Amino acid sequence: MLVMNNIQKVFRTEQVETHALRDFSLKVEEGDFVAVTGPSGSGKTTFLNIAGLLETFSDGQYHLDGIDVRSLNDNQRSRVRNEKIGFIFQSFNLIPDLNLFDNVDVPLRYRKMSSSDRKQRIEQALETVGLASRMKHLPAQLSGGQQQRVAIARALAGSPRFLLADEPTGNLDSSMAESVMQLLEDINANGTTIIMVTHDPKLAARTPRNIFVKDGVVTEKKRSSMDGTDSLIMQPAIA
Amino acid sequence: MELKPILSALLRNKTGAILIAAQIALTMTIIVNSVFMIMERRGDMDRPSGTDEANIFVLSYTGFASDFNEQTQIVEDLDYIRSLPGVIDAIQSNSAPLIGGGWSMSLATEEGPDKNGTGTAIYFADDHAVNTFGLNLIQGRDFNPEDITWRNRTDTNWPGQAILTKALAENLFKEDWRNAVGKTVYISETQPINIIGIIETMQAPWNGWNGLERSMLVPQQTLFGGGRIIIRAEPGERDRLMTDIENGLMQNYKGRLVRNVRSMEEIREISYQSHKGTNTILLVLITALTIVTALGIVGLASFSVNRRKKQIGTRRALGATKFDILRYFLVENFLISSVGVVFGALFTVGLNMLLVSTLDLPSISWYYVPSGMILLWCIGLAAVYGPAKKACQISPATATRSV
Ligand SMILES: Nc1ncnc2c1ncn2[C@@H]1O[C@H](COP(=O)(O)OP(=O)(O)O)[C@@H](O)[C@H]1O
Ligand SMILES: [Mg+2]
Repeated sequence: MLVMNNIQKVFRTEQVETHALRDFSLKVEEGDFVAVTGPSGSGKTTFLNIAGLLETFSDGQYHLDGIDVRSLNDNQRSRVRNEKIGFIFQSFNLIPDLNLFDNVDVPLRYRKMSSSDRKQRIEQALETVGLASRMKHLPAQLSGGQQQRVAIARALAGSPRFLLADEPTGNLDSSMAESVMQLLEDINANGTTIIMVTHDPKLAARTPRNIFVKDGVVTEKKRSSMDGTDSLIMQPAIA
Repeated sequence: MELKPILSALLRNKTGAILIAAQIALTMTIIVNSVFMIMERRGDMDRPSGTDEANIFVLSYTGFASDFNEQTQIVEDLDYIRSLPGVIDAIQSNSAPLIGGGWSMSLATEEGPDKNGTGTAIYFADDHAVNTFGLNLIQGRDFNPEDITWRNRTDTNWPGQAILTKALAENLFKEDWRNAVGKTVYISETQPINIIGIIETMQAPWNGWNGLERSMLVPQQTLFGGGRIIIRAEPGERDRLMTDIENGLMQNYKGRLVRNVRSMEEIREISYQSHKGTNTILLVLITALTIVTALGIVGLASFSVNRRKKQIGTRRALGATKFDILRYFLVENFLISSVGVVFGALFTVGLNMLLVSTLDLPSISWYYVPSGMILLWCIGLAAVYGPAKKACQISPATATRSV
């Protein structure tokens, strides 16, 4: 479970202060699939980075699976990222010099795990995304959609509880986006909590839960499921 | 360890790595051979002359006046000098160790022409020689006053006895040198010389000569119109006596020139000046080379850190600790250096073999090679540490922030 209370994030440079997040409160339950939408520059990536322990925050509380994130040092944060969180990036972020097998291996290497255990997980993960036959290929030899699926395999290999995706389909055409989305839905169906930032309203419409970020403020979009017309009610994202 | 993925990433970006490895190999080759040459030269410079160097000084005299009577002048000068307070002893001689100019002859254990001779430096001196030079007589006896004769410029006859250095005796008699006292050697092919004593060490006048340790004391005083006077002072008295004696000699008799008043320490200094100069040049060279190589490594590492910023951020996002990132770059550098030092070891030995055959240098001692490898490894790690430390500071957020 992920609980944020009144998170503030201020970026300070010499000239300006940017309030990227203001009083950001959110609760994400085990097994949720949350789509995050909002205009560019509204704070979506900042939220995801804080949720994924890539960035620290200026004020507020954040508990991830009951752990007070503020109390963690840099090494402990690395460890939590490694064990609990899988990341999917807009531009895939595969390591160009490593083949698919070694790419999926990257997060596993940072965990004390036997090489046979790693091998099994890597093969399994690549199997899941349908790329087991291309393990020795380099990322550059794949299409964008395939590269993103490798990235998903890399995120999955460590069996994370949370999958954080920042515009995972942003660089893909619609058919590739569709296959990635289906993959994420399958993963969610198997119990992994997913938070996905997206620009695509169609994809957002497919997730059970939608939040909307504007000027660093989060609101929840509730569907009135009665008539199915998607009339949206804005309300705070935390009960 | 994550050797395999580091290696495969490295093999996909070979050019820079190969250049750095080659630079490391060359640097090691030059550094190790230079250090070896420096140490060889230092070793040469450290060889003892066998004399009491700290307290000895030498001066040259040349008679020019028509009333210059060398024989009486030598006696008079030596009497005067030996009587001065602070003087331990003094002699007249043709030369002194390391002074650069002297006399050499060939000795043989058998009489006759075409015998295999051994070259030796000749020091003509009276029975004060051992005491003046501070030599260590290890066998036999010193000269007696009655042994000493006068030698004119045209004389070709040699006195029948001499004192040899141990090195000379060893060269003549091999293991049997301990029984050399009492034996006869031949000079000028046919003239017998009876060995009356053995001194431990007394170097020849020429430091570059491979027979530097072979010298012979001949019990004669030379009447060559000029020569040298060697004076041994009591500790602390040398510098004062150098001026006092130069002035005193000039006052006593003005018909001869007194020049080149030099302490043995200065003589050694001058003798090894070019050694020192060469060593300094080599030292500057290897320092410069080390700096250039280190900068090359810093440059390549900084470049590759900058190029891989996003990758580093991604690795951090996926769970790498700062230490994991640091280790990645250290290991990568270690792999590059290892290739460098392995080739470096081969080139080092190769260059040394070339120097051995062309410049008659000794073979490099084995331990220079592993020491050089370790040194270059350390230089590599030290150079990569800064850029690697920078890589650690790259925020995990770089994974999502940079394009
Ligand atoms: N490292 C940073 N330093 C300063 N300002 C930043 C930094 N990262 C993001 N911002 C600012 O924070 C705000 C939110 O950014 P971001 O979370 O990336 O928005 P989004 O992902 O919704 O487009 C923007 O105004 C952005 O310019
Ligand atoms: Mg963004």
